[in-house]
Amino acid sequence: MSRVSAAAAFCATLKRDLLISIKRRNEVLNPFMFFLIVVSLFPLGISPEGAMLRQIAAGVIWIAVLLASMLSMDSLYRSDYEDGSLEQLLLSSQPLYLLVFAKNIAHWLVSGLPVIVVSPLLAYMLSLPAAGYPALVLSLLLGVPVVGMVGSIAVALTVGLGSRGLILAVIAVPMSVPVLIFGTLAVQNSLAGASPVGYLALLGAMLAAAASLAPVATAAALRIALHG
Amino acid sequence: MIENPQHSSPLFEVRELSCEREGHVLFRKLGFSLDRGEILQVRGSNGAGKTSLLRIVCGLDGSHQGELRWQGVPLASCIDDFHSELLYIGHRLGVNQALTPLENLRWSCRLHDRVGDGEIRDALAELGLASHENLPCRSLSAGQQQRVSLARLLLRDAPLWALDEPFASLDAAGIALLEKLLLRHSRSGGAAMVTTHHVLGIPCLRVLTLGLPQ
Amino acid sequence: MAGRWQWLHRLGSPRWFYATTTRWLPWLAGAMALLLAVGTVWALLYLPPDYQQGDTSRILVVHVAVAGASLSFFPLMAVAGTVTLVWRIKLADMVAKNAAPLGAWFSFLTLATGSIWGSVSWGTWWEWTDSRLVSMLFQFFLLLGVISLRAALDNSATAARACALLSIVGCINVVVIKYSVQWWNTLHQPPSPISMQVGSPNGPEFWVATAIMAVAVYLFLALSLILATRNEILERESKAQWVRELALGAT
Repeated sequence: MSRVSAAAAFCATLKRDLLISIKRRNEVLNPFMFFLIVVSLFPLGISPEGAMLRQIAAGVIWIAVLLASMLSMDSLYRSDYEDGSLEQLLLSSQPLYLLVFAKNIAHWLVSGLPVIVVSPLLAYMLSLPAAGYPALVLSLLLGVPVVGMVGSIAVALTVGLGSRGLILAVIAVPMSVPVLIFGTLAVQNSLAGASPVGYLALLGAMLAAAASLAPVATAAALRIALHG
Repeated sequence: MIENPQHSSPLFEVRELSCEREGHVLFRKLGFSLDRGEILQVRGSNGAGKTSLLRIVCGLDGSHQGELRWQGVPLASCIDDFHSELLYIGHRLGVNQALTPLENLRWSCRLHDRVGDGEIRDALAELGLASHENLPCRSLSAGQQQRVSLARLLLRDAPLWALDEPFASLDAAGIALLEKLLLRHSRSGGAAMVTTHHVLGIPCLRVLTLGLPQ
Repeated sequence: MAGRWQWLHRLGSPRWFYATTTRWLPWLAGAMALLLAVGTVWALLYLPPDYQQGDTSRILVVHVAVAGASLSFFPLMAVAGTVTLVWRIKLADMVAKNAAPLGAWFSFLTLATGSIWGSVSWGTWWEWTDSRLVSMLFQFFLLLGVISLRAALDNSATAARACALLSIVGCINVVVIKYSVQWWNTLHQPPSPISMQVGSPNGPEFWVATAIMAVAVYLFLALSLILATRNEILERESKAQWVRELALGAT
């Protein structure tokens, strides 16, 4: 038997997490349904008028995405913690941040991507002018992984707690404020006829920073949470 | 003093290990060493710190004082090498309920070694799970799930085993099988630390009892 | 590691900290009382009323001083957190544990004094277009997050290290939030530059009073933190010989 490479361990973890998501598709589907429901509450709660909805469309979608990712992230490491797989992950001789990154990508594929795919439809229902679609989709593509990776630090810190749904939101939501700001600014800018590229570039910079730092912090947080 | 870490030092060594939990002392100034071919049974009453000791040895628990050495090298400076030579099966088995035994083992073994599906099937067959390899683990009994985790003993190439209550939910045949595996491991030059109350049918067994007045 | 960082461990000894601060406390308290009195009297009696804002501008002396001090909490907690994670010095965690609620209070006071001032000069108690107010609000939320994480984790060693990591992440985050909120709202007035000219709204009378108040507030911060940390030390080290001797000596 020969030792495995870091890339193979990364792929094995990615495959395993995707497989678990497929087998537990109900759990994956719930946050997505929640996202659709939250978005459809706004026209009822604020105003069904196109002029009003047009203004808040980007913000509503972004806030609903944030809330839905808080819900879906809650289960990111929970079953692994409960069944002991997290201990096995920590005892791997491969770098933990790489395996954490694999888990983040798997989580993004099953919970982030569907939201992004369906966002133009919701934007249409909220009367967002067509000029805003590219900026909305691009900002979600760049911003949702940032929310996921930064949130994953908070999930890791609270992994040992029984009922942690709310504390996770208290810690992680304020951290996603910059992403929310630049995501909505990009859309508003392109609606006003200006270029959203500057804000998208900022989101891209945040994605680069989050991808290189957040898995390291998450790995440290998992070690802290398990060391007892 | 000149020492050659590779030859003169034992495989694993613990010196003056103390552990406190929220002001309560679990053990103090514990020392032992483990050499190739040795099986160490850790005993003690509930709450004596058996699991804590095992987790500290594995580097899963940082709340302790004292020295841990792997082949003469302090654990902190060779932790990745150590982890590739260590097989830990905890109280929590590391078996995902939604996945099948085959899928579970594929992942947990491929974190370390290149293992083929054929080998995994053989290992599951040896543990009497041949007909269960494609069922989700949640439909297996506690003893069968324990056997899934024990299949890693056959699949990983690790000189040090750390097993926390591995006999807990096994039946008589399972106990005999695990004893056989431990013996085979020790004969081929491996070492193991096992926490259990079970009276092991293994010759030359070493026993460490925690919680005795010193 | 042991040799080069020996001094840090000596400095981090709770007993040494307790003994040293016992000597410092009267001086710190005296200096704080004096500066607080001078600053308050100056702001209330000698500062000329602003030609636009009238007497309300006097609260700025306190507001600016408290706001300045509240910005120092996340860097302080991040440094203490690094010390906790790298050198495992318990004193750093005792400081960080008490810094979080104190920081939340300071942030709250900043928001309160800011909105009192705003109620007169802007005509509204809350203004989303002021980026400083908004980013202070999110700093307040982040500090509440650190406090609730500490409260949720039972094991004190885990709580210490988890909060240390969260403080470091939070410190980076506060900076990012501050700049993104600023970008979000460029309509906002830039911080007023200080002026050396006597009689101008931001002239020497104002900023000297503010500087005195700022030093007083920092001393108050240090004093509160030291007193809270001393309590923490007594609680956590209650089994230690020196704490018992201290308690016996006092009775």
